[in-house]
Amino acid sequence: MKKHPFFGVVVATAILSPLMLLGIFSIGKGWPFPKIFPENWSLQNWSDAFTASSGLGQSLGLSLGIGACVAFLATISGFFSARSLAKSSRKNTWLMLAYLPYVLSPVMYAACLQVSFLFLGISGKITGVMLGHFLLAYPFAVILFTGFWNARMEAMAQLAATLGANPVSSYLKVLFPVAKGVLFVCFFQTFLLSWFEYGLTVLIGVGKVPTLTVKVYQYVTEANIHLAALAGCLLVLPPTLMLWINKRYLFTRITL
Amino acid sequence: MKKRTLTAGLAFFLCWTALPLILGVGYALLYSVGLVGLLSEGFTLVYWQRVLTHAEFWVDLGYSLSLAAGAMLLATGIALRLVLKHRHSFKQGLLSYLIYLPLAFPAVVAAFLTFQLLGPRGFFSRIALSAGLIATPEQFPAMIHDSWGTGILLTHMAMAVPFLVLLFIHTWENERLDELGQLAQTLGAARRSRTWRVEVPVLIRSSRPTLVLYFLFVVGSYEIPLLIGRESPQMVSVLAIRKLQQYDLTARPEAYIVVLIYLLLVAVLLRTLLVSPTNPKQP
Repeated sequence: MKKHPFFGVVVATAILSPLMLLGIFSIGKGWPFPKIFPENWSLQNWSDAFTASSGLGQSLGLSLGIGACVAFLATISGFFSARSLAKSSRKNTWLMLAYLPYVLSPVMYAACLQVSFLFLGISGKITGVMLGHFLLAYPFAVILFTGFWNARMEAMAQLAATLGANPVSSYLKVLFPVAKGVLFVCFFQTFLLSWFEYGLTVLIGVGKVPTLTVKVYQYVTEANIHLAALAGCLLVLPPTLMLWINKRYLFTRITL
Repeated sequence: MKKRTLTAGLAFFLCWTALPLILGVGYALLYSVGLVGLLSEGFTLVYWQRVLTHAEFWVDLGYSLSLAAGAMLLATGIALRLVLKHRHSFKQGLLSYLIYLPLAFPAVVAAFLTFQLLGPRGFFSRIALSAGLIATPEQFPAMIHDSWGTGILLTHMAMAVPFLVLLFIHTWENERLDELGQLAQTLGAARRSRTWRVEVPVLIRSSRPTLVLYFLFVVGSYEIPLLIGRESPQMVSVLAIRKLQQYDLTARPEAYIVVLIYLLLVAVLLRTLLVSPTNPKQP
């Protein structure tokens, strides 16, 4: 296969330029037309971001907290219930159900669920947003783990039982160590689902739960491009680092 | 595994997937026929009649489907070209890491960037002005809030290309297309036939479920058209949520009808597009 010397440079530039532009906008001050780049440069936006008045620091903490809790709960519950699903004779039908929140579109799903959250008194609250995110993340975890619970894993569990392991030690000493990789991938993916979610967060949170995605939208509508870029950087950087570290695990599990 | 544990696992799954959906869809259905809600006056099909006979919904649905199909066709074409010609560049070196970077961009940030890049006073417009290609920002081609949804299409395409490149590379290795292609050439296939009769069909067929799901994901996308789309025509998700959030409460049943029709359409598309012709039981 013929190698094109400039191909790598062109693709790398195309991939890196959005991140660089976000960085440039986030440290810029004032961008009057027709200047190509901002007039002044300062790190003040970044230092102001974490003061109480801007609220970006709180939003970062909120997004991290919601994402971590949702990912943990979805991963654990998905791991156990996927085993039941994998053994069911109607596995494909149940899996189709798990895809619905995504193909229906999370925001349309949230529109249907909104009244239930109002009825439960958790609309506009962090717990409501967390539950909403869980309803998206949990089916995803189930889809991911259904592939894990194959005949080989069941044979391994049976072997552990034959050798005298009770169900708890079978999980702790055999199944969890074997599943370490996929558990991590699931945690990471479900964390991202929650971290990136905007439509459902706004509908269920009625704008009172200011996660980072909500903040980006708010700054864009206020035409505050520098803070929007800064919030965008905060949104992009953690998943970028995690993706970079874990790329070898990632893609084998996200395709069908 | 005991049968009781199996049943409990399945019940837990249904409780967090089917139950919310049934409750939500049930409520939407009752609202759409006037049986619940603040303005409920008993059973009526007037809202259904209003939505189904109004051109707005059909135009927006067609607009969403066309934009998604356009974005997917372009992205699939570009990704196929990249994988067929340059797949080795993505398997080693810096590009093997960088290709994952666009996956870390949420839709809301991608839309914001598109706005800043392609808007009439955006980055490219300023470059065109300073290069003397245009005299005023209004002369820059409209790609944001335009009726063709150019910005929406380009943003979805840009987000889909890296994902599809990774998908096709993964499929290429899974299907052992290097060996299969060599076999085809040994049996007399020309380089062109090897590409178009072996590699591309295998890549598309094996990736079909993911392509279909990605297409449906784009049809129902919300953040990107909300930020860089216009009000008419608009993507179907934006239409539903705008109707739901209007002060006029009579628009609320219409919002639920849009959601219900969309759900029905998605179910039909899933069933039609995902069922494999060789194995009808496989979703």
